[in-house]
Amino acid sequence: MKDKFLINIVPGDTFLHKLSGTTKVRLFVALLVFITMSFDLRLILPVFILTLIGVISAKPNWKQVKLIMSVVLFFNLLNIFLFYVANPTVGEYWCGQLTMLGKLNNYFVFPVETFWYLFVRLIKMLTNFMVSLWFITTITPSEFAAGLYSLGVPYKVCTVVSLGFRYIPDIARDYENIKISMQLRGVEMDAKRTKITERLKQMVLILVPLIITSFDRVQTIANGMDLRGYGRNKMRTYYCEHESTKADKIFQFLTLILFIFSIGYIISVNVWPPQTRMWCPIVWR
Amino acid sequence: MKQPLIEFKDFTFRYKSQTEATLHDINLTIYQHQKILILGASGSGKSTLAHCINGLIPFSFEGEIKGSVQVAGIETINASIFDLSKQVGTVLQDSDAQFVGLSVGEDIAFSLENDNVLRKDMLMKVTDAATVVGMQDFLAAVPYRLSGGQKQKVSLAGVIHEDVQILLFDEPLASLDPAMGKTAIELIDDLHNINQKTVIIIEHRLEDVLHRPVDRIILMDEGRIVADTTPDQLLVSNLLSTYGIREPLYLSALKHAGCEVLASDGPGDVHTMDLSRFDDQLKAFEKKYVASIDKQYASKLIEVNHVSFAYDKEKVLKNVSFDIYSGEKIAIVGKNGAGKSTMAKMLCGVIRPDEGHILINQSDYRQMTIKELGEMMGYVMQNPNQMLVKDIIKDEVGLALKLRKMTEEQIDERVNEVLKTCNLYSMRNWPVSAVSYGQRKRITIAAILALKPTVILLDEPTAGQDYRHYTEILSFLEELHEKMNLTILFITHDMHLAIEYTDRAIVFADGECIRDDQVYRVLSDPEIIERANLKQTSLYSLANRIGRTPEALIDQFITLEREGKR
Repeated sequence: MKDKFLINIVPGDTFLHKLSGTTKVRLFVALLVFITMSFDLRLILPVFILTLIGVISAKPNWKQVKLIMSVVLFFNLLNIFLFYVANPTVGEYWCGQLTMLGKLNNYFVFPVETFWYLFVRLIKMLTNFMVSLWFITTITPSEFAAGLYSLGVPYKVCTVVSLGFRYIPDIARDYENIKISMQLRGVEMDAKRTKITERLKQMVLILVPLIITSFDRVQTIANGMDLRGYGRNKMRTYYCEHESTKADKIFQFLTLILFIFSIGYIISVNVWPPQTRMWCPIVWR
Repeated sequence: MKQPLIEFKDFTFRYKSQTEATLHDINLTIYQHQKILILGASGSGKSTLAHCINGLIPFSFEGEIKGSVQVAGIETINASIFDLSKQVGTVLQDSDAQFVGLSVGEDIAFSLENDNVLRKDMLMKVTDAATVVGMQDFLAAVPYRLSGGQKQKVSLAGVIHEDVQILLFDEPLASLDPAMGKTAIELIDDLHNINQKTVIIIEHRLEDVLHRPVDRIILMDEGRIVADTTPDQLLVSNLLSTYGIREPLYLSALKHAGCEVLASDGPGDVHTMDLSRFDDQLKAFEKKYVASIDKQYASKLIEVNHVSFAYDKEKVLKNVSFDIYSGEKIAIVGKNGAGKSTMAKMLCGVIRPDEGHILINQSDYRQMTIKELGEMMGYVMQNPNQMLVKDIIKDEVGLALKLRKMTEEQIDERVNEVLKTCNLYSMRNWPVSAVSYGQRKRITIAAILALKPTVILLDEPTAGQDYRHYTEILSFLEELHEKMNLTILFITHDMHLAIEYTDRAIVFADGECIRDDQVYRVLSDPEIIERANLKQTSLYSLANRIGRTPEALIDQFITLEREGKR
């Protein structure tokens, strides 16, 4: 089971895995804010490189990572291509000027600024992806719940997260069983033999019992949780959430600095708007 | 002296959704350090009684309460479920649903987490609790890798570290195979003896619970306590058959031999009961034994030849071969993960062999689609709720025919015929949701029979059912077998089922077919029993005590039981 998912249920043993859930969740949030706030390559590129190193050091299942990476890369390239097609002079908005390299016709022109913007945009999206990938491959659902809780999210919400992961494989198994019994009764799942509309209708036949059995289970799970005191107190602790190590303290400190920097940056950009909407080295040439 | 720990006084309870009370005038006192079995058929109110002790009533199930229940001095009506959980530890029947953590350690810690215990104090408590149930080496294991028995142990560990006085087990044997069930009963007994817990077991499998002694048995029926007595007294009374509880096999065998067992013989334990009075009867019984002749069948229906199969790299079926003849009743047994379900899926064509081949009526089944195979092989799942998709019984039964594009008249005709065979005709226009679990099971069988299969495969047909419903379903299948010459395959770990309703057992262990033989021979082979996680029946122990070969005694017993049924 653990080799089938990108997500770990059992904590891994690399440096990043060993950080506590709180540290990882906080760092993740801070990094997302940091990347989202600007189109400044000087800020984004270091994060990109660091998270790339982070992902490599976490030794994920490369087969799956490769697949996801190629899908993400494909869609991001498609995205910037469409951005270009939609407005080849978008660079003017961001850099305040256009420096033409050439043109195909009156619409498809090649300004440096547009390419610069699209390049930074691609890096930014890939960095976002790398941050998420780093986060997903190093955290377990329980640590995630504990981390959210440490940010002040009510623990009932956090429980939904970890319980969801707990029962997904069970529901998948139920689905598989129901599908088999339906196939034997004559529900045709083969794409070659049935029309898509017909297949969608037949999917309903599988979902009905799946939903009913899942509801039955929810009642039992709830009883089991009540009997073990779930909901007794406003606060709770987490078994998976170990005490902060030295590494945790350092990372949390860095996260704090990063966060303060981001807040400062956002305020300053809004109070003293810079010359151009993004950092663009050619403007100062 | 003896101190009352749980006291019911003139207690009556009615669920909000029901018009009649589920428990009537319960007066019951349970003392400290007792080990109690609450026995009763489904619907007898035994689970409701348990809910009243652990506080789920009135916390989760609303209703009308009269009278009082005190648990460890706490009046439950006023108490919160959380206070009660410090006194009563409950292990639910469905250990999968009770396992909410993503690892063993986390699940054991769940109640500590809720109690806001600091993590450093938690670690030690978790290890201690895990050690009590023998799971200390599995703290990092994920639930998907554990067997049913292991999950149950974790559930148990999760409720004992509160230093609870009372342990409450709701049908602890329901989802375990025989060997695990035996271990569970031994573990419960150890907790009672070593850790000094008051133990309450809710079950209907009397013989399995009596593997270790209990102090008292409370027999329930229709929401009332009908007996409150010792095991020895109960076993010699006629209460068991009156209230739909199965008598232990060794006692049935002794009755066949004409022995009149008294409470003073100590019938509660086959190993220690006094048999000296019955020498004559047992000798005469032995003389009457004629070895049964293996049934011969004429036409080979299915041939499984050297079949192997792997999901990933690991082989789940290894070089499996067996034949099935038309009209046979076969038990496919073995522990969970031994390859039973994979074999069933393969017979239905959902998966196909990697190596080897399967012949049906002498032709390779590879050319047949799942849909075509579905018309030959009916597969009845364990949980009927996973099979039922339509609102009305009639439509459910006709679904497979409709999917095969038969005309309305053809469907009506076939459906009515099947419903009559299954005694469901008068209910044909009822909503599926309005009928009981046992009837739903019957509807799923009817839905399968609508396709007129020659073979029907049933996955754990008796799971979650008490003796009465169990007998009902199996006699119904027996009837179908006679009427339609149906070939029936039971995938099961219920030894009683194998003994009473099948002729042959195919035993799986670790993906291999380790034995294919008459049931009585399989059950008298200690090595096979061990490898397949089965349990020696009490007949085996009885045979050893009276100096007979187990094979002969089991064979004689099966023959007599079947004659008795006719």
